[in-house]
Amino acid sequence: MIGLDAPREAGTGNGRTAKVPYSNAPFSDAPFLAAFSASEAPMVMTDPAQADNPVVFVNDAFCRLTGYAAGDVLGRNCRFLQGPDTDPGDIARVRDAVAQGEPIRVDLLNYRKDGRPFWNAMTLTPVRDEAGTVRSYFAVLTDVTRTRQAERALVREKDGLAQDLEARNRALQTALDQQTALLHEVDHRVKNNLQVISSLVLLKARRARDTACREALRSMADRIGALSTAHRLLYAVSDVARFDLRDFAADFATDLEAGLDPDRIALSIDVEAVAVPVSMAAPLALLVHELAVNAVRHAFPDERRGRVAITARAEDEHLILDIRDDGVGLAAQPDNPEGFGRDLVGMLVRQLRGSLTFEELNPGTHAHVVLPLGTTR
Amino acid sequence: MSPGGLRVLIVEDEAFIALELECLLEEAGHLPVGVATRSGEAIALARDLAPDVALVDIHLADGPTGVTVAQALSARPGTTVLFTTANAKRVPPDFAGAAGIVAKPYSERVIRAALAYVSGRYHGGVPTEPPDGMVLAPAP
Repeated sequence: MIGLDAPREAGTGNGRTAKVPYSNAPFSDAPFLAAFSASEAPMVMTDPAQADNPVVFVNDAFCRLTGYAAGDVLGRNCRFLQGPDTDPGDIARVRDAVAQGEPIRVDLLNYRKDGRPFWNAMTLTPVRDEAGTVRSYFAVLTDVTRTRQAERALVREKDGLAQDLEARNRALQTALDQQTALLHEVDHRVKNNLQVISSLVLLKARRARDTACREALRSMADRIGALSTAHRLLYAVSDVARFDLRDFAADFATDLEAGLDPDRIALSIDVEAVAVPVSMAAPLALLVHELAVNAVRHAFPDERRGRVAITARAEDEHLILDIRDDGVGLAAQPDNPEGFGRDLVGMLVRQLRGSLTFEELNPGTHAHVVLPLGTTR
Repeated sequence: MSPGGLRVLIVEDEAFIALELECLLEEAGHLPVGVATRSGEAIALARDLAPDVALVDIHLADGPTGVTVAQALSARPGTTVLFTTANAKRVPPDFAGAAGIVAKPYSERVIRAALAYVSGRYHGGVPTEPPDGMVLAPAP
């Protein structure tokens, strides 16, 4: 690509012998030639007037960069700089620019004389005479191999980081999947064991000849049933840290009603959707069970009719649970010598750090329970 | 067995659960015809006994084979399959031909109600509402 006037004037070894371009220049061209020759920027000039647009000038910097001596390249087309991995698209763009007489800036993979490739950021400029005819092509080369390598290294590093991140995400997902599978397995075992325990107690109850013994065993089975209902609902929702009291109350009420004569005792349940910490689920389920069963069993002796109402709501981080009946009232209820249910209620309220008060309604009893809903235990 | 009673095959590997279930079924007026603890045994018993209902756990003595059992048993005309399982997540979306799931731990009430429902729906009894503790299979 290049050319001062002609290759015959471009001279020997170092390319410094080319003559001043145009004879009609109003001043001496010698200083410009000297400047190009001495420049640290690799330069090359070609003459399109000659066949195959041969090199007519190169400077020392060009020779240092490419490893060619001026004598190697003068008179040859610049394509000797191309090699196996030079992008044919880039070459085509250069060829088009030359054909159009347009300047071009392009990054080319070029090859030194010894075959080592380098990245050449080249500007190629057509040089015209007063008539506008392109007299030569002038190219300035820049070795950008280091920049390109740095860019590639950066891209590789970014790819590497992205892969690391992906690998870590995969590992986390695997760990999460394993944990979820484990949780399901434990959940399954607990449910199955609750069924086994319940079956054992009920089997024994069926065989017990003594009525009191049978009753005691059945009431234990009912307590296990309340725990089972709580547990069945625990993992039914996606949020395994919360337990919805309303869902529990609905299931519990149906089980309780199944053992009632609906013409004699009417049960009404009004429980808000209160999200209860899971740690409270089991004791709370038992507490509701004991208070409700106590009302249903003991408030209506001798075929007495009446109603039992259970309400629950959340207020200021507390759960307010009320169980009212219009039965005979606590004072009239026969003292249960074992009093297990009452003891159980006291223990559960203490465990839940709450308070319990009984109020005589005349007729009936009102159990009022206040439980903190905070996450502290 | 009472007039509305069903002949029930229990497919369950936990002996106490199976035994209690038998007592409960008798109490509710049904006839437990057999207990299978493995999948092959369940399929053979169903062939010999032609039960009206099979209560099938998913985890049996030979692994999570209850789904296969449900497929085989529900293919028999006249047999309705109900899963009784603590592992409802293992039930495939089409319920493997089963009519529904009774989730463990269940109460006696839910078993009674589920069988009353099956009796009314599939075996000429009095139609009832599906019980709340039972998940019905999607409509085919």
